[in-house]
Amino acid sequence: MRAPLCPATVASVATFRLQGSKVLAVDMTGDAVKAKNGSMVAYDGQMAFKKLSGGGEGIRGMVTRRITGEQMTVMEVKGHGTCWFADRASEINLVNLQGDKLYVESSNLLCTDAGLRTGTSFTGLRGASQGNGLFTTTVEGHGQAAIMSDGPAVVLRVTSQYPLTVDPGAYIAHQGNVRQSFQSGVTFRTFMGEGGGEAFQIRFEGDGLVYVQPSERNTIAGDV
Amino acid sequence: MSAYGAPGPVIHDPMTLPSDDNVNAYTFCVELKGSQWFLQKGKMIAYYGSIDFNGIGHGRLDRLVRTSFHSPLHASDWVVAEGQGKMLLADRAFDVNSYDLEDGNLTIRSGNLLAFQPSLSLKQSIVPGFLTLIGTGKFVAASNGPVVFMEPPIRVDPQALVGWADCPSPCHHYDHEYMTGVMGGLRAMTGIGGTSGEEHQFEFVGAGTVLLQSTETLMADQATGAVPHEAGVPGGHGVSGHQGQHGPQAGVPRFPGQLGDLQRRFGL
Repeated sequence: MRAPLCPATVASVATFRLQGSKVLAVDMTGDAVKAKNGSMVAYDGQMAFKKLSGGGEGIRGMVTRRITGEQMTVMEVKGHGTCWFADRASEINLVNLQGDKLYVESSNLLCTDAGLRTGTSFTGLRGASQGNGLFTTTVEGHGQAAIMSDGPAVVLRVTSQYPLTVDPGAYIAHQGNVRQSFQSGVTFRTFMGEGGGEAFQIRFEGDGLVYVQPSERNTIAGDV
Repeated sequence: MSAYGAPGPVIHDPMTLPSDDNVNAYTFCVELKGSQWFLQKGKMIAYYGSIDFNGIGHGRLDRLVRTSFHSPLHASDWVVAEGQGKMLLADRAFDVNSYDLEDGNLTIRSGNLLAFQPSLSLKQSIVPGFLTLIGTGKFVAASNGPVVFMEPPIRVDPQALVGWADCPSPCHHYDHEYMTGVMGGLRAMTGIGGTSGEEHQFEFVGAGTVLLQSTETLMADQATGAVPHEAGVPGGHGVSGHQGQHGPQAGVPRFPGQLGDLQRRFGL
């Protein structure tokens, strides 16, 4: 693995701001961000774009991503100036990370501060019920990230008094220290075509934030 | 908890979520206090508290269904949410809005209706593909783009129509002048020059409100269920001779410039 070029004192951190709700502008002063490959729509100043194989997580990360089906093609953007990112007119949401961990599907991750570590983690049944596979991407450290959603995401806080239940198709990401459990409402009625329509749900408990989008991906559970 | 810094998006919790109001243009929050709501399957995206979702066919809900649900043939598309908590509804990132009816009636395209309070009763409209809500209460509907409210008399594009309230007379309107004029006739016959696509409208007169969406892209229809096979029932395909062979539903492909059966009626 390559050591970061700038020394540990990363004084200049790229600043993320939204321009409208579908374009992300990142102001950089010699620092770098990791972004979804091909998501740059414009830039101003001096920028260098470099494809990072396997998500820029080194050989081990690359192999893990290949195996887990969480491949993401990522590029590193570095330079001075402003770079604008957008992807298929998806709504973009900014996430602030202060040492906590963000769990997001790789396809919903648009851009992260280069100082954030990305990785993969096992999601268990939730991933299966979403049709996204059993693994998800994690982003960890201090900095900003931008995630995408179909329609503006609603950010819901989970605390110990207020657990939250989410439809797997509307879930996009979560951060903080939350436990998730899988709820199934499948009963004999489901098989008689009289199901509640919300046969699979994910329950979040603990302390953190959950991002949901106002749209449901087609899931196995969607029609049950 | 303030660790998640300020510049990010608005963070909601059960205290800050609105009660029976929009969270943003695309998400609606319903507060349940032991009460019930009807909602279309799969439109719940998240909830706080303890809420049960049961199919309409659930035995315990029979009474509720008897009193406020009169559209039995597509009952399985609807579920009843009941319990305590706040529930978020959304539909494919379409705009959602809530509407209050006070001892009124409103007819809406079936695919647009998301949820309603049981104090309203749901019925199939005589107009195929539409549902009618009667009574007092709140309902939530989706639309492709924001909804515009218009007062009759008005003629509207069929694709832009979301629904109407209190108007007694929705009917078809054809632009005779255009279709029978020399140029119009030529165009209609030959297809040369095409048609404007606006020769056919829905017309509303009388007192009431017409709801329009701001695009002509329809939302997918939800089945409203079949109507009884009886003569005189529109869409019922009863014994009546003309039934079932008119209208674009007949399955005959349309060509540009072809005005359908009207051409025949006008001798074109």
